[in-house]
Amino acid sequence: MSLDAFKNRNIGSQNYVPVNIESYPTTGWDKFKQVVKRGIGKELFVGLWVVLREMLKFKIHTVQYPSEVLPIGPRYRAVHKLLRLLESGNERCIGCGLCEKICVADCIRMDTRVDENSRKEVVEYSINLGRCIFCGYCAEVCPELAIVHGSRYENVSEQRAHFVIKDDMLTPIDFLKQQKEFPGFGALSPNADQLVKKTPLAY
Amino acid sequence: MKTKKDIKFFINDREVVAKAGETILNVARRENIYIPTMCYLEKVNPIASCRLCLVDVEGSKGSILSCQTKPTENIRVKTDSAHLYKQRQNIMKLYDVNHPLECGVCDKSGACDLQNKNIEFGIDCQDFAVKEPHRKIENWGKIQYDPSLCILCEKCVSTCNQAIGDDAIELKFGGYSSSVFLKNKNSKTLECSTCGECIAVCPVGALISTDFKYSSNIWELNKIIPSICSHCSAGCEINYEVKHSSTLNHESKIYRVTNDFENSSICGAGRFGFNFANNPHESNLKNKKFDEVVNALKKAETIIFNSQITNEEAFILQKLKEKLGLKLVNYEALNLQKFLNAFGRSSGETLPNGKIEDVENADQIIVVGSRIIVENPIVRYAMTKAFKNNRAFITYMHPVYEHLLHNVVRQFIRYEVGTEEGVIALLAEALLGQVLKFDLDVGYVSGETNVGEEELEKIFSIGKKSKKRVLIIGSDLIAHVKRENIARFLGVIQKFSNIRILLVPEESNSLGVAKICQLDEKESGNTVGYNMNGNYIISSLKNIGNFYIPALNQQEGTFINIDQKVKKLNVAVPFNGLSLNDIANKILNDKNKKQNTIEYTKNIFGIDFDSLENMQIESQEIEIDCNEMPHEISKLPTFDGTLVYNSRTFLEFNPFSAISQNVNINETVLIGSEQFATAGKISDGDEVEFEILGEKFRRKFKIDRNMRGVIALNPVFDKSLKSYLLSSIYKFQKVKIVKVAI
Repeated sequence: MSLDAFKNRNIGSQNYVPVNIESYPTTGWDKFKQVVKRGIGKELFVGLWVVLREMLKFKIHTVQYPSEVLPIGPRYRAVHKLLRLLESGNERCIGCGLCEKICVADCIRMDTRVDENSRKEVVEYSINLGRCIFCGYCAEVCPELAIVHGSRYENVSEQRAHFVIKDDMLTPIDFLKQQKEFPGFGALSPNADQLVKKTPLAY
Repeated sequence: MKTKKDIKFFINDREVVAKAGETILNVARRENIYIPTMCYLEKVNPIASCRLCLVDVEGSKGSILSCQTKPTENIRVKTDSAHLYKQRQNIMKLYDVNHPLECGVCDKSGACDLQNKNIEFGIDCQDFAVKEPHRKIENWGKIQYDPSLCILCEKCVSTCNQAIGDDAIELKFGGYSSSVFLKNKNSKTLECSTCGECIAVCPVGALISTDFKYSSNIWELNKIIPSICSHCSAGCEINYEVKHSSTLNHESKIYRVTNDFENSSICGAGRFGFNFANNPHESNLKNKKFDEVVNALKKAETIIFNSQITNEEAFILQKLKEKLGLKLVNYEALNLQKFLNAFGRSSGETLPNGKIEDVENADQIIVVGSRIIVENPIVRYAMTKAFKNNRAFITYMHPVYEHLLHNVVRQFIRYEVGTEEGVIALLAEALLGQVLKFDLDVGYVSGETNVGEEELEKIFSIGKKSKKRVLIIGSDLIAHVKRENIARFLGVIQKFSNIRILLVPEESNSLGVAKICQLDEKESGNTVGYNMNGNYIISSLKNIGNFYIPALNQQEGTFINIDQKVKKLNVAVPFNGLSLNDIANKILNDKNKKQNTIEYTKNIFGIDFDSLENMQIESQEIEIDCNEMPHEISKLPTFDGTLVYNSRTFLEFNPFSAISQNVNINETVLIGSEQFATAGKISDGDEVEFEILGEKFRRKFKIDRNMRGVIALNPVFDKSLKSYLLSSIYKFQKVKIVKVAI
C-alpha cells in the first residue's frame, strides 16, 4: 500500500447528524437582549429548580468514591492476578516464561526451580507496575490462564517497589472458593470447543 | 584452484567443488547452501538417523542422504523441491508422534531443534498415532534422561563413543520403544567422566543437566560471555550464560556454561564448575584493609603463588619482586622452568613441538606420566578421535590403570612408581635405538621399571609403520626429582626423530608463569600467599584469606594454554573490590599508573588485550651449545608400602571447581582396588586416616572394581589453598593408612 492511501483525508459521505446551534449574537443590541432573556427570564431558575428537586427527592447521582465504586467490565485490564486451579487449588502457573518473554515493557520476572515432586515450581513472580503499560499481552499469551487481569485499579502505595510480588497476586488458598472461572481478557472464547482439532487415536 | 582430486558438481545449478573426502552436505555448508538436518554433528561421523538431509540427484531414482554421500563428477543436486518438502514434513510428523506437549516446562524450549524444524516445515497437526509405552525418566546423577522426549537422533551416543571415548551409553533398538540405555546394565548411574557433552548435543530436552533443570528459561540468559575455562591447561573456549540472581536480587549470576558442541567438546569440570565467583567482603573496599595488604607486602620476604593465575597477574608479581626485592616462589612453575631449560639445552628448541591437533591426526600415541583423563580431558578427546578416525595405536604408561581408557588404549604399561627416568630412557632407546646409542643397561632398567622388553619391541615396531607419532608427557615427569635428565631424553627424542612431544602442564597457566616470572627456590621469612597459604593470604577463593581479589571468571586476562596459544579470559560476573593491579599501583608508585590489569598485556605480548586474537607463542631455536646428551641413569628409586596418588576427580580439578559445585567435602573418598583393600586390611566404607606433607586426611574408603594395582586415588581439591601445594609435588606419596574405629 502506498503512502498516498494514508494521506487521503476524504471521508466520503457518512451518517453524521448535524446539530442545530443558534448563531451567536453579533451586534451590541442582540447581546443585550440575550443577557436580559437569560438573567431575568426563567432560564436561571430552571437549573436551580432541578438541583432543588433532586435534593428533596434524595436521588443523588454522584458516586461516593471511595466508599462506593462502579462495577467494571470483565475484560477491563487492571492489576494482574495469578489464579489457582479450581479443583485442586494448585497454582496454574507452570513457569513457561512466555509472559516474561512477550512483555513489551520488560517488567515481568520470575524465578523457577525444581520442587519436591521434580516439577517446575515458580518460587517468585514479580511485575514492576511502575513500568507495566497494561497491554494485556501476558494474559493473552498465557497457555494456562494463570496470569489474568483483575479488577483492582487502585495503585496506591508508599513505594514503587511494593508493586507487586507473587503473594500479592496469587489467590490465597483460603479464598479459593471465591475464585471464579475467569471470563475476561485472555480467557478462552465461548466457542473454543468447536475450534479444537482432534488428534488421531489408534487405541 | 581445482586440483586433481577435487570433484566439480552442481548444487541447485550452482557449480561447486568438493575436496577429497567431503560429502555433499559438507560442500553445501561451506557454500552457504541450506540443507536441513537433525542428527548431523560436525565432530563425529555422519549418523544418518534423521534422514532430513535427503536431496535429489538428477537422473537417479530416489533421494540420497547428503550427509554421508560423496559427490561424483558433474552430478546435479537439488536440495529443495515440493516432493522433498513433503518428505521432510512427514519425517517431522513422525518425530512428533506422542512427543509430550510440555514445551512450557521443558528446559530446551526456545533452543529446541524439534520446535525450530516443526515451525520451518509448518507442522500444525498430527496425522499419525500410536500407543505409547510407559517410559520412565532416568536419573543418572548430573544428567537426567527422559525417554519420552528423546527423538533417537543418536547424537549423544555418537559423541560419547567417538568424540569423548567413554562409551557409556548406547541405543537399545526396539522399534517404537527404542531408547538410550546405559552400557553397563547393572549400574544405575553413568559410569563415565561426566563431561556432559551428551547434554550439549541433545537437540531436544531428553538429556538435561539436573543442576540447571528448571532454573531459568533459556532465552532469559541473554548475556552470553565468551571466555575460556580456567580449570586446566587446555583453555577451552566456553560461554558463560549470565542472568540476574533472582527476581529481587539484581546481581549477576552464571547459570550455566555452554560450548561450541558442533566442533569441540569440553569436560565436566568446565561445564559444571563455573560458580566460583568471589564476593568481596565489604571491608575489602575500606582503606584500612588496603593499607593492611600494602604493608603486608612491604614487610614480606616472599610471595608464594600458584599457576592458576593470568599472565598479567604473573607480570605484576614479577614487577613487585623487582620493586620490593621479594622472592617469588612457585614450586610447580619452577619445576617446569627447569624442565624446559634442560629440554632446550638438549633439543635446541625452547618448547616441545606437539599440539593437540597433532594428537588428533596421529597414528601412534604414547602417554607417559599423566592421568590424562583428568589432567587434560581435551588431549584425551583428541586421543579418542585419533583412535576412531586413524585407528591410532595408543600406549598408556602410568602406574595407575585407567578403566575408562580401555576403549581406546591398546597397550597399558604399568611401570613402577618413581622409575619415570628409566621409563623415558627405555622409550628413547626403543624409539631412537637405530639413530643413537645410549649408555643404558636395558635389562636392569627394564627389570626395575617393570616395562617389558617385548612391550618396547611392540612400540618400536608400531613406530616403524606410523607416519605421525606423538609422545604425551604428563606432570608426573615434571614433578619428578630427575626431571632434568628426563627432559634431556625428551629433547633428544624431539631432535633426532619426527616424534612430536606434547607437554601437559599441571595448572591452567603453568607455561605463562614459567615464561614470565623469575622464580626462587625456597621461601624464607615472612610470606604472602597469593592464592596459596602464607602469613598473609591474598585469595580469590570464596571467603578465604585476608584480602579478597577477583576470581578467574571475574577478571580479564590471558592464559598460555597447552598449545602455546594465548587465550583470553573475560569478565562474566562483576567484582566490586580491588585487584592485584590496585595494590601494585600503590606500591610501584609509577608515574604511568595502569588503570586496568589488562594494560599489562601489551608489556607481555606486545599487543593490546583487545586486539589480541589467536596469538601463538612460537618455539625458538637456541643457537649456542644445545647438544647436551642425557646422563647415565644411576640407581632407580623404589617405592614400597602403601601408595596413594594425589589426583583430581572427573568434576573437581581444584578448590575452585570444588566450591562451585557445592561438593560435600565429607563425601570425598579415597578410591582403591580390591587388591589395595586387602593389602591395607581395610574394606569398603571404612573411615581411614593418613598424612601427606603434614596435612591430615580423613576419608571414607571406597572400592572401585574397575581399578587394579595397589595404588589408591586420593583427591586433594578439598584442602582449600593447600591443595595447590599437594598437587605441585610428585603425586605418588607413601602413606601410612590407619583405620579409624567408629
